[in-house]
Amino acid sequence: MESAEDWLVESLRLYQDFHAFDLSGATRVLEWIGDKGVFVAGYESLKKNEILHLILPLRLSVKENQGLCPERDFKVCHGGFSDASVFELKHVPDTRLLVTTGLPGSYLHVWQVAEDSDVIQAVSTIAVPDKEGGFWPRVAIFSSMAPGVLHGVRLRSLKVVDLESQKTTYTSGVSDSEELSSLQVLAADTFAFCCSSGRLGLVDIRQKWAPSETISPGAGAAGGRWCAEVGGWGPGPSIASLGSNGQLCLLDPRDLSHPVSSVQCSVSAPSPDPELLRVTWAPGLDNCLAISGFDGTVQVYDATSWDGVGSQVEPLFTHRGHIFLEDNQTDTAPLVTTHTWHPHKPRTLLSAASDASLHVWDWVDLRTAH
Amino acid sequence: MPEIRVTPLGAGQDVGRSCILVSIAGKNVMLDCGMHMGFNDDRRFPDFSYITRSGRLTDFLDCVIISHFHLDHCGALPYFSEMVGYDGPIYMTHPTQAICPILLEDYRKIAVDKKGEANFFTSQMIKDCMKKVVAVHLHQTVQVDDELEIKAYYAGHVLGAAMFQIKVGSESVVYTGDYNMTPDRHLGAAWIDRCRPNLLITESTYATTIRDSKRCRERDFLKKVHEAVERGGKVLIPVFALGRAQELCILLETFWERMNLKAPIYFSTGLTEKANHYYKLFITWTNQKIRKTFVQRNMFEFKHIKAFDRAFADNPGPMVVFATPGMLHAGQSLQIFRKWAGNEKNMVIMPGYCVQGTVGHKILSGQRKLEMEGRQVLEVKMQVEYMSFSAHADAKGIMQLVGQVEPEGVLLVHGEAKKMEFLKQKIEQELRVSCYMPANGETVTLPTSPSIPVGISLGLLKREMAQGLLPDAKKPRLLHGTLIMKDSNFRLVSSEQALKELGLAEHQLRFTCRVHLHDPRKEQETALRVYSHLKRWAPRSFWLGLGRSGARGGSHCASRQRPQGPLRAAPSRWVRDCGVHPHPGCCPLRGPRHQGAAGVLDLPG
Repeated sequence: MESAEDWLVESLRLYQDFHAFDLSGATRVLEWIGDKGVFVAGYESLKKNEILHLILPLRLSVKENQGLCPERDFKVCHGGFSDASVFELKHVPDTRLLVTTGLPGSYLHVWQVAEDSDVIQAVSTIAVPDKEGGFWPRVAIFSSMAPGVLHGVRLRSLKVVDLESQKTTYTSGVSDSEELSSLQVLAADTFAFCCSSGRLGLVDIRQKWAPSETISPGAGAAGGRWCAEVGGWGPGPSIASLGSNGQLCLLDPRDLSHPVSSVQCSVSAPSPDPELLRVTWAPGLDNCLAISGFDGTVQVYDATSWDGVGSQVEPLFTHRGHIFLEDNQTDTAPLVTTHTWHPHKPRTLLSAASDASLHVWDWVDLRTAH
Repeated sequence: MPEIRVTPLGAGQDVGRSCILVSIAGKNVMLDCGMHMGFNDDRRFPDFSYITRSGRLTDFLDCVIISHFHLDHCGALPYFSEMVGYDGPIYMTHPTQAICPILLEDYRKIAVDKKGEANFFTSQMIKDCMKKVVAVHLHQTVQVDDELEIKAYYAGHVLGAAMFQIKVGSESVVYTGDYNMTPDRHLGAAWIDRCRPNLLITESTYATTIRDSKRCRERDFLKKVHEAVERGGKVLIPVFALGRAQELCILLETFWERMNLKAPIYFSTGLTEKANHYYKLFITWTNQKIRKTFVQRNMFEFKHIKAFDRAFADNPGPMVVFATPGMLHAGQSLQIFRKWAGNEKNMVIMPGYCVQGTVGHKILSGQRKLEMEGRQVLEVKMQVEYMSFSAHADAKGIMQLVGQVEPEGVLLVHGEAKKMEFLKQKIEQELRVSCYMPANGETVTLPTSPSIPVGISLGLLKREMAQGLLPDAKKPRLLHGTLIMKDSNFRLVSSEQALKELGLAEHQLRFTCRVHLHDPRKEQETALRVYSHLKRWAPRSFWLGLGRSGARGGSHCASRQRPQGPLRAAPSRWVRDCGVHPHPGCCPLRGPRHQGAAGVLDLPG
């Protein structure tokens, strides 16, 4: 594995820290619980999948004297079995509950993480009204005294269901059949939706459906499939929208009809599996984004000086570990299924790929390094 | 029912004191005898009172097996054999036999000299203990006695580490000790054949861990060394003579070559000699790569790594030095440490666990001011790095091993069953084996169904076939015969053949019993009813041949032809013979001379 050796030597310069793990099954889920644990879950269709609660290696959690901590391994803290494949998993904040969704898409599953044992127990299901083969509802959690689950396959089937009583507390009330690709709760009463066409909207659930949204068709108008994330807490663009053709748009929530900028990322487009597209804002760095879902890499971009439409941009950093450290010599190259930023270590990310690899990496910003 | 019993010994659930008692078909084996490194008092030893309750250890235990030289697997051995008292055999591999006493002596010195412990085992005790050791080779079947045999398998992990199969007859247990499933630079991966034991015993922590790859650990090591050297610092790496040192040297050599680095790397001479000596002895225990290199040249003829001289420690500029001993408790590594500790550009990398009381342990706990001899205080300004290179299996590795071995059940030690339901389910579902998780001091009993091979005579088989029904694999068939046990040979033959072989005559035993019937009907009618009732009960016959003549039953026997109609003349006595059978309802009738259960009908008149 000469190239792996070469890459490892290169990695000394490129990464501060780097850890590589092999899960027993590939995951599309990386959901934080606090800052020391993550959930992963399998997405196989023909066999039972595991949902695991993993504790981060101690070395990554200690704040000081990291050198004195030799622990580099994940610990499996809790586990459960799911017959359905898990495509999304959301933790209900301040509780020990989880909500999962995937195929078949007729139910959402609610789970409880046990306190005195290592079990993640299935607790209940939430029926999904719009049952269509091959489609699965997106999920987001309204956390409050009485947590609510926002979910839907299409705009018309969007609703919020109270987790405990299972009563519907909100419905979109529209007949729009546009397919959803992501949902994100922003505050106690607002959420953002992104349709696969690229159409974006911000919704206040206290009012009748009247979202501030992008002009149809979607921001890119180039077709393909889109996803989005709202992040970045400051003035200026805080919504990023990524298309399967490699286009990345930045929008200001105050004026969704006019994107602030639109760039072309350095990726091999179109993405082989647009459902895996993911764009995330760095919680600890200004104007930094990460994207994945095009190949076996995760790319980090600095959006500070982006403007205009159509310019080609180069990533600040590209994580190629999943390609170079691939152990099984299978025909298909691994595809990054998901990634996430560490809540407070500014340049640390976790990424997972289709070959069941899981990486934790802390990249060096070569602009500031000597 | 024969059973296998397993009891992990000792108090506390922590990993760090391996000692497991296994009872298999009446044989008692102790697996490992480790020390808990975290305690200073009796809690560091396994709880032997569990066994000593049964009497003298030597009488109770058939043997002790030690899997490898790490102190948490052999640290309590001299205490156990010389202070508690055990004179039976102690089995371990050759490398373990060679290295164990060195580590035990080191440990003893630290405990007694550094920490002033009293009531610790002495050097002589270590020697006496090692005299009881019987060294074994890999894949060699060792007969402990007539019935108990053991076999060692390669475990990887450290030099000489083995997994052991313990077998009595058709019952067996495999104990993994510490092992790993991925080969590293100087050791291969664990391997065992599909021996299908009743039970596989292994560590629960493996199953709940997902390990960082070897490459990333190595990367971290290289990065730290490189950073220190780049800033002009000196790097001290205290090592034990074997194993890890070779691996790290190979790693650095490769890296230095590729990056064209110039800083010198040294290896203290004591290390070289010892290591060479050991490697020559145990070359079969390392992996292919090392073996090839060793054959071609001396183990330590590296291009970039040279022999160390004390004086070099004072040379200016960056350098890397490998020195013994590994815990910085004495000797050359401590000397170098004292010279370099005061400079923050320098670095010390500890590649393994350090026992309490050593300088290594102190700096790894974060101590920056150390009191040395003569009340001198040493300020530690150098960078301290703790790295773990120990190759252990993880969740994936366990599944692989179980897949290889195909046990009926898996037993995980050092875990809490209440807290591990998911893990238990996972193992049971994915691997389709039972999963047990005893607490320390708790005994798990596994019933086993040993298969006893029995030869069956052709004559008997033929006779059964002649009965008409064809054998059906799905339906069990009840076979009647005589079991002859001679030596350890079992044969099932027909009764006639058995009698012939034994030279005995067949005797018939008849039993009669008097049954009084009170019935308002007429005698003939009653007799007829009784007769037809009995006939229905008696479809077939059998004889049990006995080796002695039995007493003849009370009344004489007579048989009657089946009456064609109602009885014309009821005999005054009406008796039927009976072969001995365990319960009514299955009474033989064979041919015209029927012998069937009945009684004596004493009919009045």
